Amino acid sequence: MGKKELKVAFLLALRSLQRGSRSSVILTILIIGMCFTNMIFLPSMFNGIGQSITKQVVDYEVGNVLVSPKSGDQYVADSGATLDLINGMPGVERATPHFTKGATLKYRQRVLGVSVRAISPSDEKLISPLYTKMVAGSYLGEADTGEVIIGRPVAGDASVRQEDEFQASLGGVRVGDSITIDYGNGYVKDYRVKGIYYTGWSQADSAVYVTSTDMALVDPKALDNADYITVKAKPGYSETFIKNELLAYGVGGNGKVQTTADLLSKSMGRALQSFAIINMVSLVVSIIITTVVLFIVITIKTISSRKQIGILKAIGVDKEVIMHNYGFQVIILGILGIILGIILTLVLAAYMAYHPIVTPEWSATLYITPMDLLVNSVILFIAAIVAGYVPAYQISREDIQTAMRT
Amino acid sequence: MIIIENLRKTYRMGDVEVNALDGITLNIAKGEFLGIMGASGSGKTTLLHMLGLLDEPTSGRITIDDVDVGRLNDYEKTQFRLYKLGYVFQDYALVPDLTVMENVSLPAMLRVDRTEEQTHAGSFEVLQKIGLCDRRDHLPRELSGGQQQRVSIARAMVNKPDILFADEPCANLDSENSRLVLDLFKEINEEFHQTIVMVSHEDWHKDYFHRIIRLKDGKIIRDGTNGSSAH
Ligand SMILES: Nc1ncnc2c1ncn2[C@@H]1O[C@H](COP(=O)(O)OP(=O)(O)OP(=O)(O)O)[C@@H](O)[C@H]1O
Ligand SMILES: [Mg+2]
Repeated sequence: MGKKELKVAFLLALRSLQRGSRSSVILTILIIGMCFTNMIFLPSMFNGIGQSITKQVVDYEVGNVLVSPKSGDQYVADSGATLDLINGMPGVERATPHFTKGATLKYRQRVLGVSVRAISPSDEKLISPLYTKMVAGSYLGEADTGEVIIGRPVAGDASVRQEDEFQASLGGVRVGDSITIDYGNGYVKDYRVKGIYYTGWSQADSAVYVTSTDMALVDPKALDNADYITVKAKPGYSETFIKNELLAYGVGGNGKVQTTADLLSKSMGRALQSFAIINMVSLVVSIIITTVVLFIVITIKTISSRKQIGILKAIGVDKEVIMHNYGFQVIILGILGIILGIILTLVLAAYMAYHPIVTPEWSATLYITPMDLLVNSVILFIAAIVAGYVPAYQISREDIQTAMRT
Repeated sequence: MIIIENLRKTYRMGDVEVNALDGITLNIAKGEFLGIMGASGSGKTTLLHMLGLLDEPTSGRITIDDVDVGRLNDYEKTQFRLYKLGYVFQDYALVPDLTVMENVSLPAMLRVDRTEEQTHAGSFEVLQKIGLCDRRDHLPRELSGGQQQRVSIARAMVNKPDILFADEPCANLDSENSRLVLDLFKEINEEFHQTIVMVSHEDWHKDYFHRIIRLKDGKIIRDGTNGSSAH
């Protein structure tokens, strides 16, 4: 197959697309484009959901690496020393202790069970964007006592009647109001609401935060006992690196060390499996549709120009040129379809970035990497080539007599 | 230069055998303008297709310029057609999506011994010859039947073939356009000493031929130079 022959094949292909049926060309490109979008949409949405959950979990729950009590223990052993040790390790942005207690909130006639999270406000700033999520009032100060910040769903809305509430609340607490926290161990204390936050992560939003200093007054154990330690990695350090480092320093002796990915793969493993199946189905369906459409388009083209093909062969055009003519048509249609698909996908991604589907656990945006685009393009392109070359090969091998006499 | 020895073509359809060609022996000299005539179904197209390497005989031998074409493989046959033979078909058979110029250039573009400039100049020259230079950027469907047939002749001529085959090139044309086409053949034949083998139905065409063979049931029933075979 010489250069001249390829050139003629390309010319025939180009002219056929340029001067043949415009609507069939547009329709074919559209179908390939939409198949491409369909192929990539669900996986990237699941990916986006996964990313948003991961981000929330990292931001409001566990940081990058979580040190939790060993089984049978109630607290991370030697919390204070462990914390100091971790904070001294390279690659660690900050490690903070968390101490959580179940409690009952009381405000006017309302009673609500919540978990009270004790934090060190300044340390927490280093590992969680909570302090940026204040919708009213202000964040906790380091040595605040008798002050609490509460999630907006906990605060509630005075204009909604209790029986109409979607989620139980205190019915409209405002900054400066006084609420009572009953820790259940006989310790009851009044707090001033210093601020109200809203993170979008339901676990955090349905909790309240006090300072560790304050918690130590309630339960002296809080001083040197952490329910868990969250570790935030410095940019550029992987979770696995930090985890291995912690294990190497012997933190494993005091608590269980897990990365966020470890935790999520356990809790979301089953969901991820179902995602993978749905992704596979949408991928296969898209490939089949593309293949079938291109196969039909090229088959119709070849059959309706059988005589033409016979004539071309009669005047000395080699069968390879005939085959590549159709091959090139598919390649051009495929490339244009894929480009359209990429544009559609990016437009969709941009739209969803501004209008994400938001739920209390996650918000769905499309998470698409250049690699995703590349892989999908290549898969679809190969499918297109197979779909086009099969009928092209068949028709190009037909003998001249049969082709011309039809 | 074309030697045809005892050529047979038998079509078998179920139990029935049709001898489309029944022992044709014939020599065609260089520069000859040969007419093949005969009733419908007499085997004219079949013979032309054999000579043009578009079909294979059941038996017999065709030698063109000392090449036993029956021994060529598929690719060699394609190359042989490209470099040595030209075709004009009854229904013009132009590529509908290519312009006049592109249609004419197509066979030349495939030749490795032609530069792009030569291809272009050659196509231009034949277009001038057929008098359709000014329509070179038109599509075939924008031309009349006669014009399309002239383009198809230009396409057949662009590679300066040794032999030009034409199967009823005037069948779809009125007498005026037929005359234009035949005059063109005559001119090519005289000017370039071009060998032309043409199948025809029409009696008045025979004035153009040097020599006429008449077929009946796959056999040559008459072979003569113009005049002697006329009546
Ligand atoms: N593919 C085929 N299968 C079977 N029989 C065929 C085939 N092609 C041609 N024939 C038969 O061979 C004979 C010669 O056909 P051919 O086409 O050569 O005739 P022709 O002289 O060109 O006729 P026309 O003037 O109508 O074009 C006919 O009887 C025809 O039916
Ligand atoms: Mg015929």
